[in-house]
Amino acid sequence: MSTFLVKLREQPWLWAFVGTIAMWLATSLVTGAQGSGQVLSAAFSFATFFVIVAIGQMFVITLGPGNVDLSIPACMTLAGTVAMKLMAGSDGMILVGLLAAIGCGFAVGIFNFALIRLLSIPPIIATLSASFLIQSSAIAYNRGLRVKPPAALAEFTTTRIGGIPVLAIAVMLLAIVMHIVLTRTVYGRSVLAIGQNSKAAFLAGIRVERIRFATYVLSAVFAATCGYFLAGFSGGAALNMGEEYLLASIAVVVIGGSSVAGGYSNVPGLWGAALFLFLMVTMLNTFGASAGLRLIMTGLIIIVVITLAGGRKR
Amino acid sequence: MKTSILKMTLAGLALGVASSASVALADTADKKIALSNNYAGNSWRQAMLTSWDKVTGKAVSDGVVAAADAFTTAENQATEQAAQIQNMILQGYDAIVINAASPTALNGSVKEACDAGIVVVSFDGIVTEPCAWRIAVDFKQMGKDQLTYLAEKMPDGGNLLEIRGLAGVFVDDEISSGIHEGAKENAQFKIAGSVHGNWAQDVSQKAVAGILPSLPEIAAVVTQGGDGYGAAQAFKAAGRPTPLIIMGNRHDELTWWKEQKDANGYETMSVSIAPGVSTLAFWVAQMILDGKEVPHDLTVPFLRIDQDNLEANLETTQAGGVANVEYSQSDAAAVVAK
Repeated sequence: MSTFLVKLREQPWLWAFVGTIAMWLATSLVTGAQGSGQVLSAAFSFATFFVIVAIGQMFVITLGPGNVDLSIPACMTLAGTVAMKLMAGSDGMILVGLLAAIGCGFAVGIFNFALIRLLSIPPIIATLSASFLIQSSAIAYNRGLRVKPPAALAEFTTTRIGGIPVLAIAVMLLAIVMHIVLTRTVYGRSVLAIGQNSKAAFLAGIRVERIRFATYVLSAVFAATCGYFLAGFSGGAALNMGEEYLLASIAVVVIGGSSVAGGYSNVPGLWGAALFLFLMVTMLNTFGASAGLRLIMTGLIIIVVITLAGGRKR
Repeated sequence: MKTSILKMTLAGLALGVASSASVALADTADKKIALSNNYAGNSWRQAMLTSWDKVTGKAVSDGVVAAADAFTTAENQATEQAAQIQNMILQGYDAIVINAASPTALNGSVKEACDAGIVVVSFDGIVTEPCAWRIAVDFKQMGKDQLTYLAEKMPDGGNLLEIRGLAGVFVDDEISSGIHEGAKENAQFKIAGSVHGNWAQDVSQKAVAGILPSLPEIAAVVTQGGDGYGAAQAFKAAGRPTPLIIMGNRHDELTWWKEQKDANGYETMSVSIAPGVSTLAFWVAQMILDGKEVPHDLTVPFLRIDQDNLEANLETTQAGGVANVEYSQSDAAAVVAK
């Protein structure tokens, strides 16, 4: 038992879940037993979207210092916009729309990496400048008009089984798969190795640039998929739909216990952190706290988590 | 003789009306007007730019002005917009129309433009620099009007949920203070909860879904625009009765309202600013360049949609867009005259 506890304490994702439970209990004081179930159900609905983008962002950040994908919001917007316009509300086109969204993701990922690799632009600047181009393409494509999603897609994204959204279950399965990919496959191990020491990884025979390429494409494809489902969930794509996912995707990765410096990551923490972020806002709203306090709390919590996580590792 | 009598009559009227009598003078045919815009990333701003292009494009081809170019900054930063205005001064524009990122941070650049003899007209996001003209929106009144409407509709009052905009933005503070003032005057209403929806349907949906379980029964939702549909979705997902939700003129909000109205006689109202206010600002700048007297502080009328004119407005609103009104030169003259 005590060895189990010691082992548990070493898990980097622990704090995110501890925080989540604390926030949930605090909110329950106000909402009561029945309300707290509804809060949890809502938390799963919305955390799902954070988790999808955060998985991609986590793989990118794992690649090591300087690697980050800032084009996620623009990619979500473009994919959502293109897919919604293409489907034009027709149920028969749902699959075509999904493929189009994923196609947008591939294009964005390839473009990002081309800037990074061929033009030797640092990833922060490359993905940021790419995001202007991508966002502008989305604007030019449909001028910000909101096209309704097909009814069946809207239905699917909002369906719940026993209070848990179907989409959340799908993303939990996705998270398990990506956890295995990160820890058990050559690709995942290579990402970790590059993040720990890219020179050593190169000397060990890892094709560093290929892995980086795959990772940036992965991140963009996940962002695009998220844009597709989010547009389905919220009644259409909007130009500003991805805005809060820029900082949130990074915050979820960091609070989830992955190292900002790369090389050490974990998938379970993403779920903990995504639920935590939603529940924290919910708790502060429930207590009637102002937006200013909310932002201060978010900042403080990120500092505390990084300090706690950083104090232990290595 | 005839003209002098006409002049005498007109002198008795407000100055603006006098100017409307002599519209479309060619005095501004060689003048160049620029639009400095701080943000384009939502449907309202897109509609604003589209209206600008449509109306000014025609004005340019009719020879009313020589040019009317629109420029938007990428990052919604005051510093970036200040630099943009400085470029416009160097490029030799005769008038600059601004939707500003900040009411105060651009004042330095605006003053420089005024000193260079350039007419500066700010609208929606106004600047406080005295030399500039302001076409302001009475956002506070917009908040208060919602409570006035609710007080008529629900004399018994009830609990309200407030959806605010983007934290830290002037517009959000103004509308919210109007709502709170209105709630104070109509004590039968109590604001039971308040969340930030960032004027986006998905963010509002999320925020409302989070706070709903902790709230008592909600009689009405007071909003800022772009958040009504998301709120309706959140109530539906939580399985709670749909309250009266004030809408913000977006097409999806109006469509939802129409569906509810047809299904169960749902009643509400919708209020926002028409994105076409950019064209009002354009004509005001043109009138000033034309030598007309225009007061420095003007107010834009709201575009309000009620139960009886919902269908008519829904019909003229572009699918997925925002209900809009574009101003003609004489419309602008009428606003100035008020």
